[in-house]
Amino acid sequence: MTSRRGFLAGLAAAGLVPRTTWASAGAPALLAAARTDTGAYVLCGLSGAGEVLFDIPLPDRGHAAAAHPHRAEAVAFARRPGRFAIILNCVSGAVLATLDAPAGRHFYGHGSFSLDGRYLFTTENDYEAGLGVIGIWDSAQDYRRVGEYYSGGVGPHEIKTLPSGDLVVANGGIETHPDAGRAKLNIPTMEPNLCYLSTDGEVLETVKLDHSLHKNSIRHLDVSRDGLVAAGMQWQGDAGQVVPLVFTHKQGEAAVILDVGTALYRRMDGYVGSIAIDSAGQTVAATSPRGGLVLTAELGGPAPKTAIDTHADVCGVAYGPWGRMVTTGRGQVIGGLSLSPNDYPKLHWDNHLVRI
Amino acid sequence: MKKLCTFFIALMLPVSASADRALVDRVISNHVIPRFQTLAQTTAQLAETAAQTCDLSNGQVVSDYHAAFDAWIGVSHLRFGPTEIEDRAFALAFWPDPRSKTPKALRAMITEEDPVIQLPENYAEASIAVRGFYAMEYILFDEPTQALGHPEYQCALFQAMTQDTAALSQAILDDWQPDYAALMLAAGQNDRYQTEKEAVQELFKASLTGFQFTKDTRIGRPLGSFDNPRPKRAEARRSGRSLRNAVLATEAALDLARQLGEGDEVIQSRYDELEHYFTTATAKLESPVFAGVSDPQSRVKIEVVQQAVDRLLEFTLNGLGPYLGVAEGFNALDGD
Repeated sequence: MTSRRGFLAGLAAAGLVPRTTWASAGAPALLAAARTDTGAYVLCGLSGAGEVLFDIPLPDRGHAAAAHPHRAEAVAFARRPGRFAIILNCVSGAVLATLDAPAGRHFYGHGSFSLDGRYLFTTENDYEAGLGVIGIWDSAQDYRRVGEYYSGGVGPHEIKTLPSGDLVVANGGIETHPDAGRAKLNIPTMEPNLCYLSTDGEVLETVKLDHSLHKNSIRHLDVSRDGLVAAGMQWQGDAGQVVPLVFTHKQGEAAVILDVGTALYRRMDGYVGSIAIDSAGQTVAATSPRGGLVLTAELGGPAPKTAIDTHADVCGVAYGPWGRMVTTGRGQVIGGLSLSPNDYPKLHWDNHLVRI
Repeated sequence: MKKLCTFFIALMLPVSASADRALVDRVISNHVIPRFQTLAQTTAQLAETAAQTCDLSNGQVVSDYHAAFDAWIGVSHLRFGPTEIEDRAFALAFWPDPRSKTPKALRAMITEEDPVIQLPENYAEASIAVRGFYAMEYILFDEPTQALGHPEYQCALFQAMTQDTAALSQAILDDWQPDYAALMLAAGQNDRYQTEKEAVQELFKASLTGFQFTKDTRIGRPLGSFDNPRPKRAEARRSGRSLRNAVLATEAALDLARQLGEGDEVIQSRYDELEHYFTTATAKLESPVFAGVSDPQSRVKIEVVQQAVDRLLEFTLNGLGPYLGVAEGFNALDGD
């Protein structure tokens, strides 16, 4: 693996490969960050069968990564309140650029590229104002920051690019401030939303759920091929109250809460760690590391058909042509083209599994 | 609800209660309830004293305030169930406040003589930023706030704050006994606690929360970074309580952790060592408000106190957790 990478890096250095594509990185299907059993952190590329194709050391615990749509480049974010993110060449492992959050901003740990791959959009906190910001970085100018705009809410977390090229942001609603650590400052008054934005920052649509769910932080997202958004939530209210944790939304329509009954949601312990929707928009999967389970639900009917798979400390989840794949904090990669789980006993897979 | 709970307990509990249930019973009786009783008593006393005088520098007012604040810190790790109903804990303790919402809201309230203070039930609807111990601290100890508006208004405001605080504290206690205590004791037979272990885990997590918040926020906030220490961000520095709060909060979380590990000599002796390390470290601090964060020599001493809390956190997580059978996974413990 190393020699191949070294060989390709040599080619790149010699100018023989103008742009390194994902094919030259071994054509990974997914990216995932992990902690190793020695306490180091790595970013891995995974095949559709759950095999690790490459691993690149990270300077610190990463949160999510974002994958460039064409080039073998990944963005690894420091955990919030992260001040930096790095752009990695996934063939050579080289750091191509470092993104420093401007003064008064920190990253929330998610980002998404424009459809053409030129611009990277990152979720950030303008913490003195207590407002969410989307930062814009130009990959054609060594990832220079070229602008920012209001995210449409407070505490933006995951961001995705829609098939139309517009953006959709989960504004989690929770106000934090780096001087207060990870303390949540506004739980009694939080108002999360799902916000659609043009790449110019125009708010196209803002979706809020019923006020009784105002403490349900909308945090993670995925988008189907035709723009159906699935959102996963984290309940910040009293733990004794069982609330729905997943909804779907199509631009211009009303949000549809995934009605799987209270018994299933209770098992998820108020917490969805990651969410994925298949490209056809027919099936949604949400993980709960606290509940140690993956909920899968078929959309469309009045009472969705559901399945529960239990895996200790499961969190990352993604859909692709290879099916559904999940990762666990115990080093397992489950699903995809592989019939049996791939075990990486020296790795603890971190929160997210990112489809390339 | 009360009757229903009692009925179910009588009907469904096995004759020999399990070890987990007995543990939860002991911890509720010896840790949770007495501490919330103290909070209710001391806040009621403060409200009574405040009702009798408008001299807010009066020694009795100040000492009653400190006693009530001590009692709050002693339960501030128990953030589940009754404290979370109607945002009671947030209303008692709106801190940290990095964007200074409390002084801004108080300034507006006092200069405009907001009539919301006239009825206690109205005050309960006021912004959370002007309620509870940290807002009261501005009235009692912050000179710029004291210089605002009329003394009569300040007095009436303080009385409203103390009554609101007492009412919140009593409401928490009333919900704890008997209902919430019964709910935890009937763990495994209700939806809130679906197994007996979940009730143990709730108490375990409360202990972790106490250590974590003290380490990261009560101590971590004024420490800032070496190049940018933030002494003015120390908790309750106006009343000189920053170190006191860190000590009381650590002691409270430790008392809970020790009670959860009761009967295990290895765990107790490890907590003895870690407690000794912590008290030795705190004894070396000179400033009650962590003023030493800006000076490299005294800063080190504060960092040692923070490390001592971190050691307690680590041992609770990796020693007590597995002993109780409530260890958490990598993702489950630290999600995002």
